[in-house]
Amino acid sequence: MIAFLALIAGVVAGVLLEPTVPVGLQPYLPIAVVAALDAVFGGIRAKLDGVFDDKQFVISFVSNVIVAAFIVYLGDQLGVGGQLSTGVVVVLGVRIFGNVAAIRRHLFRA
Amino acid sequence: MTQASQRPGEERRFAPDFLLELFSNPLDPGYADAAARRATYGPKPPWRRRGALVLRTMALAAVGFLLVVAWREAAAAEPDRTSAHAGLVDEVKTAQERTDELQVQSDRLRQEVRVQQQAALGGSAEELARVREREAAAGLAPVTGSGVVVRLADAPVPIDPTTGKPSGAEVSRVLDVDLQAVVNGLWAADAEAISINGQRLTSTSTIRTAGHAVLVDFRPVTSPYEVSAIGPDNLEARFKRSVAAASMRELVDQYGLGFSTREESGLRLPASPGTGLRYARPAGSPSPSRGVR
Repeated sequence: MIAFLALIAGVVAGVLLEPTVPVGLQPYLPIAVVAALDAVFGGIRAKLDGVFDDKQFVISFVSNVIVAAFIVYLGDQLGVGGQLSTGVVVVLGVRIFGNVAAIRRHLFRA
Repeated sequence: MTQASQRPGEERRFAPDFLLELFSNPLDPGYADAAARRATYGPKPPWRRRGALVLRTMALAAVGFLLVVAWREAAAAEPDRTSAHAGLVDEVKTAQERTDELQVQSDRLRQEVRVQQQAALGGSAEELARVREREAAAGLAPVTGSGVVVRLADAPVPIDPTTGKPSGAEVSRVLDVDLQAVVNGLWAADAEAISINGQRLTSTSTIRTAGHAVLVDFRPVTSPYEVSAIGPDNLEARFKRSVAAASMRELVDQYGLGFSTREESGLRLPASPGTGLRYARPAGSPSPSRGVR
């Protein structure tokens, strides 16, 4: 419940503060979102599995976002930013799908 | 679940098939490790649990924040892109309309010049005929006659064999040099007047490529290109024997460009919208009897 409220609070803060993203950071935003979603779904699944751990969740969230952004940054510097972005999205997408499938099994027993 | 079966202290290894592992086992093993630690050492002290709760709350707030920011960015970028595109389309349309307008105006003024010329020459039929001839030779007056039409076309769009749709591969295009070679070949075969897609060539005409378009006298012309030339009866035969025609046939074989010639009587080539000379001045005596030819 608190988790849900925190999420809502973040959304409300984003709406109210109307932050502008520096141009240099804009390419990393979508990747950061996908990485964050991966951490969130991983956390939800862990919760349902009964093995949720706060430290693990926070660290996976922060490191996911940073590593994903760093990989894309590295790719940009090497001239393969687009391909590496695709790679990151594919890997994280696979993980999200797997975790959501596990969540679904928990919730619907199917 | 499968992760929970991991024993504490058991060494975790990546399966030889890492991708398969990734697909079948997407949960961070860290959760299992943490659960195992809790099972071994008992629950954490309350102050740590409270700290962890705060951290978790902050992380989730950050996730929500991130989602909103990303959504706002995407939403803000979209109208930018479409409005920029629409603006450019509008600009192009306006410019085209303006060009057409100016073309009409130029045609009207040329007609006026002709009328004034006739008046100035006092209706002397001989003088008038001479002026007409000069203008026709210079490309500033429309001409008719029989000649040849050379047709050049870009290669057809390559079809992707798997989808059956046009593939994104680059189309082989007719280049400015191809047109130049054909025009030169026609001049060499004694053509007296040439136009490309209704654009009459003069002594100062340019044929060049700009991006994907070919510009003739800075006006874009597009495939198929019809090079019409008025000349002697054997113009087609002579052109077909020329180096230009031979190299075009080679391009047809290699790149699939379109290339054909046909004889045509009663060709009518328009006048060039020629701007006249801006820097060069006629040299020598103004006497009409001692000029070119």
